[in-house]
Amino acid sequence: MAKSLAAQLEEAAPPCAEASPSNYLLKDHPDENKWADCVHCGMCLESCPTYLETGKEQHSPRGRVHLIKSVAEGQISVNEQFADPVFQCLDCRACTTACPADVDVGGLIEEARGQVRQALPLKGWKGAVSGFFLKGLFPHPNRMQTVGSFLKLYQKSGLQSAVRKTGALKIMPPHLADMEAIMPEIKQPVQKKFKDYKFVPAEGQTKARVAMLTGCIMDVMFSDINESTINVLTHNGNDVEIPKKQTCCGALHVHAGDRDMGRKLAKQNIEAFEDDEKVVVNAAGCGCALKEYPELFKDDPVWKEKAEVFSEKVQDISKYLYDTGYEKPKSEINKKITYHDACHLAHGQGVRHEPRQLLNDIPGVEYTEMANSDTCCGSAGIYNITNPEMAGAVLDRKMEHVPEEVEMISMGNPGCMLQMAMGVQKHGRRSEIVHTVQLLDWAYQKDKKAMESTTGKG
Amino acid sequence: MSLFKSRRKKKTRRDVHIEQMAAIVGPDEILFEKEDLLSYDCDGFTVHKAMPKAVVFPKNTEEVAALVKYCAAHDLPFLARGAGTGLSGGAIPLNGEVIISLGKMKNLLHVDFENRQAVVQPGFVNLKLTNSISSKGYYYAPDPSSQYVCTIGGNVAENAGGAHCLKYGVTTNHILGLEVVLPNGEVIEISEDGIPDSPGYDLMGLLTGSEGTLGIVTKITVRILKNPEGKQTVLAYFDNVEDGSRAVSGIISAGIVPAALEMMDKTAIEGVEAGTFPVGHPKDIEALLLIEVDGIAAGIDEQIEQILEVCKSRNVREVKVAESEEERGKWWANRKTGFGAMGAISPDYLVQDGVIPRSRLPEVLQRITEISEESGLRIANIFHAGDGNLHPLILFDSRIPGETEKALEAGTACLKACADVGGSITGEHGVGIEKKEEMRFIFTDEELDAQTRIREVFNPEDLLNKGKLFPTPSRCMDIKTIVKDTVAVK
Amino acid sequence: MEIKDIPQSTASLVLKDEKFGNSGAELAEPTSEEEIANVLRKANEEGKKVAVVSGGTKRGYGGLKDDYDILLSLSQYKGIIEHTAGDMTVTVRPGTTIKELQEFLSDFGQMVSLDPAWPEQATIGGVIAANESGPKRMKYGSARDQVIGLRVAYPAGTIIRTGGKVVKNVAGYDMNKLFIGAMGTLGVITEITMKLRPVPKAESLVKLFVPKEQVQVLKEFIVNIQDSMVEPASLEMINPALSKKLFNREVYTLLVAFEDVENSVRYQEQWMEEHVPAGMSVDVSQGDKAKEFWRAFATLAPNSLTDQESGSTKAVLKIGTKNMDVLTMMAVEETMTDIDQLEIEIHGGLGHGITTVILTGEESQVKQAIHQFRAEAESKKGYAVVKHLPVKLRKEIDVWGKKPSYFFLFEGIKKTNDPNNTLNYQRFLGGI
Repeated sequence: MAKSLAAQLEEAAPPCAEASPSNYLLKDHPDENKWADCVHCGMCLESCPTYLETGKEQHSPRGRVHLIKSVAEGQISVNEQFADPVFQCLDCRACTTACPADVDVGGLIEEARGQVRQALPLKGWKGAVSGFFLKGLFPHPNRMQTVGSFLKLYQKSGLQSAVRKTGALKIMPPHLADMEAIMPEIKQPVQKKFKDYKFVPAEGQTKARVAMLTGCIMDVMFSDINESTINVLTHNGNDVEIPKKQTCCGALHVHAGDRDMGRKLAKQNIEAFEDDEKVVVNAAGCGCALKEYPELFKDDPVWKEKAEVFSEKVQDISKYLYDTGYEKPKSEINKKITYHDACHLAHGQGVRHEPRQLLNDIPGVEYTEMANSDTCCGSAGIYNITNPEMAGAVLDRKMEHVPEEVEMISMGNPGCMLQMAMGVQKHGRRSEIVHTVQLLDWAYQKDKKAMESTTGKG
Repeated sequence: MSLFKSRRKKKTRRDVHIEQMAAIVGPDEILFEKEDLLSYDCDGFTVHKAMPKAVVFPKNTEEVAALVKYCAAHDLPFLARGAGTGLSGGAIPLNGEVIISLGKMKNLLHVDFENRQAVVQPGFVNLKLTNSISSKGYYYAPDPSSQYVCTIGGNVAENAGGAHCLKYGVTTNHILGLEVVLPNGEVIEISEDGIPDSPGYDLMGLLTGSEGTLGIVTKITVRILKNPEGKQTVLAYFDNVEDGSRAVSGIISAGIVPAALEMMDKTAIEGVEAGTFPVGHPKDIEALLLIEVDGIAAGIDEQIEQILEVCKSRNVREVKVAESEEERGKWWANRKTGFGAMGAISPDYLVQDGVIPRSRLPEVLQRITEISEESGLRIANIFHAGDGNLHPLILFDSRIPGETEKALEAGTACLKACADVGGSITGEHGVGIEKKEEMRFIFTDEELDAQTRIREVFNPEDLLNKGKLFPTPSRCMDIKTIVKDTVAVK
Repeated sequence: MEIKDIPQSTASLVLKDEKFGNSGAELAEPTSEEEIANVLRKANEEGKKVAVVSGGTKRGYGGLKDDYDILLSLSQYKGIIEHTAGDMTVTVRPGTTIKELQEFLSDFGQMVSLDPAWPEQATIGGVIAANESGPKRMKYGSARDQVIGLRVAYPAGTIIRTGGKVVKNVAGYDMNKLFIGAMGTLGVITEITMKLRPVPKAESLVKLFVPKEQVQVLKEFIVNIQDSMVEPASLEMINPALSKKLFNREVYTLLVAFEDVENSVRYQEQWMEEHVPAGMSVDVSQGDKAKEFWRAFATLAPNSLTDQESGSTKAVLKIGTKNMDVLTMMAVEETMTDIDQLEIEIHGGLGHGITTVILTGEESQVKQAIHQFRAEAESKKGYAVVKHLPVKLRKEIDVWGKKPSYFFLFEGIKKTNDPNNTLNYQRFLGGI
């Protein structure tokens, strides 16, 4: 009778097997409990855009978890070869949805990135460019507004069309040129517009008071969406406060491994919204980041508790409207519309049904579900700037699923909107890219006009 | 052109074999650095780990054949890998193999609705086939729980089953033709175009389930089926396992052939309810049955009535029929992600795969309870009750010294219990490296020898997936060495 | 149509069969597995050649030899070994006839889902060894889908178990498959364990009579049937000559069988009646009438017990093609010339791709027709095997057809199991 495998293992194992020392030597260590849940079943594989693209395990969720664990077990060290798969991750969290055991792969990736950036700081021009955006620009609303003004000038002055005509874009890296081509029209940020308001009052009777995160990029590049958000909130009886002290959510910093900066911004936001009971966010990426602030403070019990209290208050605009009730518009928006699930809304916050319901409550909307609506578009924060080839491939895959006939693609995240706009342009499609809340706002506006004309006539 | 893209330095010096294989598949389609190879040191079976020499990603049959020829000519051990979801370690490179990943050969080549067949490459994901043909009302029947990710090539290697094989059979019943690269690099085509009963020995039947030890499948013709007109699913809760088991026999002996008949016990229910797809099963029930009947709609109602009757006569606490496709989907997602969900209540689990004659269910489940008590480890049961295919999930924590060994021992004991009642040690997960020794529970030396001699006909040099499937006296030594080298039995 | 008169006992097995060969110099009729193993061991040691026979219906199926040293008959090794109704499995000895097996199981409301020809004479051992199937293969599959375990006596006298007694089993190689359809060249099957199914609660047979000029319309209708929700157990097509014999109507006939619970069967019959294209007529037989028809159908082809008189030459072909190419096979005779002395009866399953051709007539025309059917099948990547033919002609015509490129694997397997060529030597493809 042969020996059982167990018996052989027992014999083979050295008498007192010592675990190899971890190769994570620095602070803010990836959390062992996060990978302990992973049983390497592989159910995540097909959900992962980078695995689908490369077919290689190290670019899959379980592969990455395996690598992160291997560093802790001392099998490999934090080096370039480790950093590559960790930074190729889109942080789209689709694996979190697919995982039967709820392994927080996204959280692990961010922690691992923190390790990489501590061990291998970005140097030279890469560091400089990264520093410029992430440290010098996004966290500073004033600077962002200034950039916004420049961009606005660039567009208004005719310089943009001139540049586009001259073909100067051809000398830019292709993916940056693609981005320039879909840059939205810059309007006045709401932070600027409402800077003298303590809050924007509800139309009619006040039902509730909410605070709004205006976001850094959102308020500059997509201030009209911020305005729509305010309109929709006030229309439904909410006083909307826009705390002045708020800053960038820090998602991009955490994605990039700069967890210190992430913590700094988190603290500022936690304080800025301290007195508010509800924080409404219209950018899925920001909302998700705010909700995950406690992750940043696992070594700091005081701030961890504050972060937990704060994250409970954060809610996506579509979910807030759905939960608290909203007026169904009466005017029709006769468009064929589909919906793209932003990763950080669907996978990150579990918000899927609410925005679809919003769309379906608008009269005239002909809604078509998109196949694989919850796969990443490749935007992933600034991933499309840092990993353009992969982002482009992921986008192409996404565009294959966009139904030919739709006139509008609705979604809840500015990063996705830029990326999808690029996809529409690249693939020669005609669909407009809109934020879900904009559609609701437009329908309300039409209601108001209709009301005015009837009362005018009467 | 990119701002941040890291340009990786190739730190390992490539040896000549790497260079030569890179020339076959292209420089981007080969992995050979430690960090990259690490992800391939195991599949869905994680107790053993071993590093491959390289991982190559051929794009077509010709490249597979060229790689195999190269390996054969240079005495390099090699093996094929699909999605790496196998649960018995069939894709673990025990001998430092060159792993031939079929992940890039993932196309649906052809669908022939008239003749009810489809031709796929081995890396094509199981569920994608159904998704690709469902608009015409067709589907591919074998549905292993990993069907969202596992590949049809892997399914052929393992002769994968699934929840619905009670009525529709396992992979081997749905394979019509195979293109195979033999271990010498020769490409053969068996039952080209899915012609039935091609004269000669049934190599297709032999290759299906041979766990990648006889050849590498590079093209597969499968049968596709028309969706049944109707489908109804029943969920039944029982206050004791015995009643649940008797309900299973009752349904079968009423002359009903359910499409699926699944059972979960209390610990399993705790796991799935803590996982990503909870249904809200009551916490205090001892067993649940998930029963599905499909076919002509006009005939289903009376079968469902009969099933409800049987459940009631077996003291069911609550029994309900799914009211919508959404509810049905929810029940199935809860069931199909059951193994992975155990991660939510235990850091590690070991899943076993014994099969028993249905009528022996109560006594074997009782024996498993005893094994759990003896080992001090919790054992959850999620299984295909209809065909007697048990899946005891032994929950353990590999960080606690000695628990891995205890879990393995408990697993072996469960298989022994199955073998003792005339059953088998594996119904669908395969033998791999995990159950090699347990093969002796059900086969004599002569019977094992009869099988290994068949392997020698195909694989005389023993370079393809060596050391899997069969216990041999010499292999015991191999395992010890491997264990020492690679398993950080934590 | 009458059911043919069947010899009730297989004890009258003749040792010598001049017409079909596969005979033996001496007869061994073991009644235990041990005796079987002993016969083989002794023969193997002494360098004797053994032919295996059971019901004796397939002596015209393959083989180039008139006589072997020993004719090993399993006809006395019969009976049910184990049957647990709740497990839906049965273990049976090879000499048990299909009829005996089904009758035993029907008391439990169960059946083996195989409907091969000549159930009264053919034994389960022979059916498995020759991989015989019938029209309902479409729904239930063939022998390889039913067999879950075997015991096999190897030529050296060892007993090897393959598979097991459980319905799902992937431990080791699926060795069962090697012996199914191996024509007894790799070992003697001494025990067979099979999956069972409940006997359907209701059945019916819808016959569709199709004038020749409507064959194209029929083809479309068959595609429609397959795309619809009905679940036929068979879609067996019959050529006009055979249809004339069976129904006295010289048209193509499609046999559509339904087996399920009563409601479902009625519903599907109705669906057929509602959807039949214009110009085709329908006739429905229910329950026992349908059963009776299939019993008669199973006796259509000649076998080596019934085809003993001299006179016209008879041959039976098994043709394998893609499902829809069965229709092409039906039409082959239209392109044939010089068939004035030949009767060609054909039936083929559009759900499983196996066509049976029964040729009766003048020897040279039979031979000519075999070549033509084979050529046509091979042009469709299929094959034609002659499964019933006198031994004299088997020496002239290669009944198995061409060898595949991987024939060396067959040789290797044969050599592994039977290095001395003791068993059924030259009975199978390529003379193995």
